Amino acid sequence: MASSVDPYRFIDRFSKRVARSWSALEPERAIPWTPLSKPLSECTVSLISSAALVLRGDRPFDQQGERDDPWWGDPSHRVIPRSATSDEVACHHLHIHTAAAEQDLNCVLPIHRLVELEEAGFIGRAATSHYSFMGYQPRDQELLARTVPAIIEQLRAEQVDAVLLVPV
Amino acid sequence: MATLSLSFIYPFTASVGAPRIAAIERPGSQPMGPPDAVDEQRAVLRAALDALLEIQTPGEVRELDFPWPEDVRVRLAPRPLPPITQAIKRRPWLFLSFLKRKFPDRVVSEG
Repeated sequence: MASSVDPYRFIDRFSKRVARSWSALEPERAIPWTPLSKPLSECTVSLISSAALVLRGDRPFDQQGERDDPWWGDPSHRVIPRSATSDEVACHHLHIHTAAAEQDLNCVLPIHRLVELEEAGFIGRAATSHYSFMGYQPRDQELLARTVPAIIEQLRAEQVDAVLLVPV
Repeated sequence: MATLSLSFIYPFTASVGAPRIAAIERPGSQPMGPPDAVDEQRAVLRAALDALLEIQTPGEVRELDFPWPEDVRVRLAPRPLPPITQAIKRRPWLFLSFLKRKFPDRVVSEG
C-alpha cells in the first residue's frame, strides 16, 4: 500500500470529507482483473480522462444542466482523436481549474506523450481514439448503464489491449 | 482489456474496486504534470504503464515517486465554486445528505 503519497494534499476540506464519506459507503466487492495479454511493446493503449474534454465544435458537456441541478453531472462522453492538439480541445469541468488542460492537453490526457512512447517502441501503438467524460457524477446510473458500455464497445472495436484512466 | 487508474486520491479510487492503481501527489487539474513539462509528463506516463505491467495483485496500489515540489506554487486564477459547493453554502443542512449520497430527485435552479 502506498504510504508517502498524501492523497489529500491538493483538495479542500469539503472534498476531503466527501471523498472519505463516499469511500466508506462503497460495498466490499470482488476486484475485477484482466491480465495484460502481451508485452507493452505489442499493446495498443488508450486513455480515458474524467476532465470533461471536448473537441471544439463538438457538442459541449452540459454545464448549465449542472448549474441548474448541482446534484447532477452530464453523464455522456466524448471521443478525442490521437491527432487532437491542445488548441482543438476545451475542458468543460466545473470543479477544477481548466486553464492548465486548455494550455496543454497532456496535463490531463497525455495523448502526445503516448504517441512519443509509440515512436520510441515502448508501447505497440497509441489508439486511434481516446475518451473523456465529466467526473462529477453523484447519480452514476446513466454513466454506468450507457456511457461505460459505449466506451468499452469502441475500445474493443479498435482492439485496445490496455487502458490508462486519468482522473482529475 | 487490462486497466490502470492513475489517482491523486487513491483511497477513493481503491474503494470502488479499481484493479490497478498508480498513486501520485498532484493537483487535480494537472495529474500528469504542469503544462509543457514534457519530460515529466512522459516520465509519469511511462511509470504508470510500468505499473500496469508489473502489478500482479488485484487492487494493488503502486506509489509513483513524482513529488510536487513544496516550493512550486500552483499558480491558478480564482474560479467560481462548483455548483454543488455553492448550493450547500446556501443550504448547509444538505451537506449531510450529500455525504451520505442521498440526493434529491431534482433541485430547481436558484438563479
